[in-house]
Amino acid sequence: MNDLEIAKLDESVSALLSGHQATQESDSELRELMGIAGELWLLPRTEFRDRLRADLMTSADRRGVSPADVVTPRSSSYSINRGTVLPPLFSSGSLTFPMSGSHLAVSFGLHVVALALVAASGWWVVENRTAVRTTVAELVPSNEDYVMPIAPGPIGGGGGGGDRDKTDASHGTVPRFAAEQLTPPMVVIRNENPALPAEPTVIGPPDIVMPQSDRYGDPMANILNPPSNGTGSGGGIGSGEGGGIGSGIGPGVGEGRGGGLGGGVYRVGGGVSAPRAIYDPDPDYSEEARKAKFQGTVLISAIIGPDGRPRDLRVTRSVGMGLDQKALDAVWTWRFKPAMKGNQPVSVQVSIEVAFRLY
Amino acid sequence: MKVTEHEADERRLVEAARQDAGRFAEIYEAHFGRVYAFVARRVPTRAEAEDVTAEVFHQALAGLGGFQWQGTPFAPWLLGIAAHLVARRWQRSSGHTEVPIDDLELAAVDSHAERQTLFVQLLSRLPDDQRRVIEQRFYEQHSIREIAQELGRSEGAIKQLQFRALETLRNLVRNRHE
Repeated sequence: MNDLEIAKLDESVSALLSGHQATQESDSELRELMGIAGELWLLPRTEFRDRLRADLMTSADRRGVSPADVVTPRSSSYSINRGTVLPPLFSSGSLTFPMSGSHLAVSFGLHVVALALVAASGWWVVENRTAVRTTVAELVPSNEDYVMPIAPGPIGGGGGGGDRDKTDASHGTVPRFAAEQLTPPMVVIRNENPALPAEPTVIGPPDIVMPQSDRYGDPMANILNPPSNGTGSGGGIGSGEGGGIGSGIGPGVGEGRGGGLGGGVYRVGGGVSAPRAIYDPDPDYSEEARKAKFQGTVLISAIIGPDGRPRDLRVTRSVGMGLDQKALDAVWTWRFKPAMKGNQPVSVQVSIEVAFRLY
Repeated sequence: MKVTEHEADERRLVEAARQDAGRFAEIYEAHFGRVYAFVARRVPTRAEAEDVTAEVFHQALAGLGGFQWQGTPFAPWLLGIAAHLVARRWQRSSGHTEVPIDDLELAAVDSHAERQTLFVQLLSRLPDDQRRVIEQRFYEQHSIREIAQELGRSEGAIKQLQFRALETLRNLVRNRHE
């Protein structure tokens, strides 16, 4: 090995001794010699070894070795990364944890904060007992919430719906009444594969039982076909809004609002005006009555709805001779200016006399 | 579990040291090589290797009273202390927090300790001037210039002695294996 190579060897040794990563030597002899140098670098100094032994013996004499000096690193794990080892609280020997002053301080601080929060929340609850009770009562509804309020007049609850169809809602029956509504009733199903199928219901006292069929619709509607959800909005069936059935507002059935079964009728008087006929053609005479020169008056009970149309026609005083049917046929075509309660058109129960006279 | 004769001796030694602190010297002698070999390969300077090794044995001395046999030899317990002391230094310097040790690593530690013993023996067979250069250079970490001044030789001569010493040791190792 020439002087240049010897100088290079010394440079590599200097790098090794200064703690730098030794470069991989290309020269095989130099590489071998650096391997030897690496071994020498890792040799402990005899002086250090002897001095440490003397120090340990001094320490041993000074402090002795007693079981109280419990420092037990885990023999099965070598991932401990902090200096002093802290013995576990409820066991000894097999488990130890690294201890750090800063970690201990942070942990202590967090525990103090946590305890303070617990104490403060307890104090707050005691001090604000009434407010908490009121809040809880508001948050937890009782069954009484589902009892329909007593309506001030014949019109009680009710509901309405529709999906803005072009035609009026078709006739049908209402679904079961329930305390809550997951799915509004529909005549025309727009979504054949709902993500969460549920039985259609209308909201109202479950003990209300109405005729059921497999075809939902507005029981007050006159149209059987085409099937329609009605001109209303918000789901459901009818001309109202809100997931119910009828012309009202809400998830119930009928003309009112807020659920339940509405559509009750007023009677004229007490702030409710009488409906006035605006289109009332005379009834036809039956052939049988004409030949018999029979005269009489048929009394018909009817409900005039807010739309001015008569419904629920029923003969309450019959004269026979085919005139009852002729009277019904005539009244069915009549149109009225609806009865008013305040500024709202309302349904009213009226009796209509249809007189048959021969002149 | 079969307890080997070596483990039984070691256990008796530890028990003796727990009763008499003076016996800790025997533990120290038995395990110094392993601990130093383990530490020296994981820290960048000799000074750090010596600091950590010293701390390992001081902690071991302090904790010997609480040491309990867990079915594993005593050496892993010592190396466990060494591992977390090294990790603490790694964390300061580079953010690493773990010094993994597995069975292979434990076997390597024994091998390294044996090589230490071998090289200590081989060093004694070097000519005096070569051995002094090696001790000054590798143990004391003196520069070539400092050694040259101490020995009254030129720097070139010291470099030559360093080269010859390494060459001699290499040949001794080769001859030992042949």
